[in-house]
Amino acid sequence: MAAKASDSGGSGEILPITPSLSETTSGVTAASQSTQPPSSTSDVDAVCVPSYSRWFSWTGIDDCEVRSLPEFFNSKSSSKNPKFYMYLRNSIIKQYRDDHPRKISFTDVRRTLVSDVVSIRRVFDFLEYWGLINHSSSSSAKPLKWDEKSAGDASSEPPTTVKETAKRICNGCKSICSVACFVCDKYELTLCARCYVRGNYRVGINSTEFKRVELSEESKKVWSEKETLQLMEAVMHYGDDWKKVATHVTGRTEKDCVSQFVKLPFGEQFVKESDSEDSLEAFDQIKGSADLESGGSDKEGSSPNKRMRLTPLADASNPIMAQAAFLSALAGTKVAEAAARAAVTALSDVDYEAEKNASGDPNRQEANGGEITNSKRAWADAKSLIQKEEQEVEGAIKEIVEVEMKKIRDRIVHFEKLDLEMERSRKQLEDMKNLLFTDQLNIFFHTRKARKSEDRVDVQT
Amino acid sequence: MKALGSSGWKGPVKFRMPTAENLVPIRLDIQSEGQRYKDAFTWNPSDPDNEVVVFAKRTVKDLKLPSAFITQIAQSIQSQLSDFRAFEGQDMYTGEKIIPIKLDLRVNHTLIKDQFLWDLNNFESDPEEFARTLCKDLGVEDPEVGPAVAFAIREQLYEIAIQSVASARESRLSKKGRRGSDHGSASKASGLSMDLVKLFSFKSSVVRKRKDLDVYEPVVDLLTSEEVDALEAREERHAR
Repeated sequence: MAAKASDSGGSGEILPITPSLSETTSGVTAASQSTQPPSSTSDVDAVCVPSYSRWFSWTGIDDCEVRSLPEFFNSKSSSKNPKFYMYLRNSIIKQYRDDHPRKISFTDVRRTLVSDVVSIRRVFDFLEYWGLINHSSSSSAKPLKWDEKSAGDASSEPPTTVKETAKRICNGCKSICSVACFVCDKYELTLCARCYVRGNYRVGINSTEFKRVELSEESKKVWSEKETLQLMEAVMHYGDDWKKVATHVTGRTEKDCVSQFVKLPFGEQFVKESDSEDSLEAFDQIKGSADLESGGSDKEGSSPNKRMRLTPLADASNPIMAQAAFLSALAGTKVAEAAARAAVTALSDVDYEAEKNASGDPNRQEANGGEITNSKRAWADAKSLIQKEEQEVEGAIKEIVEVEMKKIRDRIVHFEKLDLEMERSRKQLEDMKNLLFTDQLNIFFHTRKARKSEDRVDVQT
Repeated sequence: MKALGSSGWKGPVKFRMPTAENLVPIRLDIQSEGQRYKDAFTWNPSDPDNEVVVFAKRTVKDLKLPSAFITQIAQSIQSQLSDFRAFEGQDMYTGEKIIPIKLDLRVNHTLIKDQFLWDLNNFESDPEEFARTLCKDLGVEDPEVGPAVAFAIREQLYEIAIQSVASARESRLSKKGRRGSDHGSASKASGLSMDLVKLFSFKSSVVRKRKDLDVYEPVVDLLTSEEVDALEAREERHAR
């Protein structure tokens, strides 16, 4: 009847997990269904863990765990320590995996863990968020944070309320405009169809001031050719004034127009004039902006059209950068590059006089002595230093080359001398040979003469 | 009784659970729409209050209870928490108390009977760890036993803490002199505490007497399903 401590049943299973879990692991299988015999890890279902949870390990604690659940790691309480956290975490995951693929609920877990329930809940939520529990590969990849307000299942999408940004509310009756609405930009009014027809607007406004704006869903996404053409025309005429552009383009809000314009491929450049004119103007503008910080303002007046066309792109707070950005976009990359280089050299020439470079810059211009900021001066300093160094290097190379040439020349001279010597000695040799030959000849003749005279003498006697 | 020099008088302590973690035992027993929900767990009172509703919602969802339970559960938890918090400002005297804690609980198929001594003054004590170790040592397979054991210990500690607050209030009202021995005797009214003095005097030994051995030994029983059903039926009859 009374089972002594040594004789308790069924704890013989040894599962390959850290020893602190032994009571929960064997317990789980017994608790879940009393009729099923306890089966150790015989299930071959692979438990999939999402890739962003690769850091998980049974025996270690990762940084993200420390960050998300600091209560266990700040040593404020002796019992809420990392070991306790690991006990909770490993028990929960083991319990889930034993019953995989059935999803495990918080209550299942908290009934089996010896701890206060809120700590368990936090660890449970953390593990569920990271997909280490209740993760099904079919569900969406992004983990969803448990939202206390949404009473729905954690794995389902939170109910998204799609807010129509372009919803128009009628100024007259404060209701949402549905099919079509009428817009008066002059006084910034939006009226639903009903109010317009009824004349529900202010006294001073004429009904002709209103423009009809269609609100059907389809026109929202896709821009038709006609609309695009209208957009381009409007931009050409009105430039920066997006309100006017929006009125010109029927059925599109300002935002839509702007976003569509930005999306247009600028390789096409519908509204550009000839390239060269642009580039020169662009260059002048850049030079002008290099001269004066805020002096660019008087340049602004010169080509408002071009500037305004591209302000959506260059939304930098720095006005000069904005200008440079749009001009470079306008003029094309090569021209902009050349112009920029020229501007750079022009800048460096402003305070430093002509001894600097003649190094092939095509458009050398005198800059009017304007103010240059410190940064520009420092930058020009650096530039001139670089150029000096380059020149020095070049000079050094020249000298080296000359020295080498001289060496070679000397050697050539030397060889020539030697050659001459050789010639001379050869000639001498030849002369000597000749002399020898003549001597030999002489001797021969003499001997012949002598013999002949001997013969004559012999004959006479 | 003489106040010994070694056992100094301990000043009043602010009420709290005499454990390392100041956790409150919460018991739920809610009946509604023909369904009965019984549960017991520990709660950390320093957690924010919105956790109560979150917990209630999750529990109802997990156990598929009707949603009327949500408010009832939340209310029950809240009231127990506020009871606990009501005690928190007050003083309690723990004295040199070692109390016996008794376990007599049935969780699913496991029956545990045990008795052991607990030092009420040890504010670093941890019933959770005790429960975990107990289950591990006794080879208890059912993982739900651990929390039940921890809960039972906490409940008893909570009771005693409340009583010590009450007795502290009484003694203050009666304006008796502050002597540790008096409090010792006052707490004896609970009938369970023992005096260290008696226990560790040089006349007696620390080793337990033989006749007490059986009482202090843990007993784990594994019941069959029929026995469980019989016990449950008996409990319900008692409850009615």
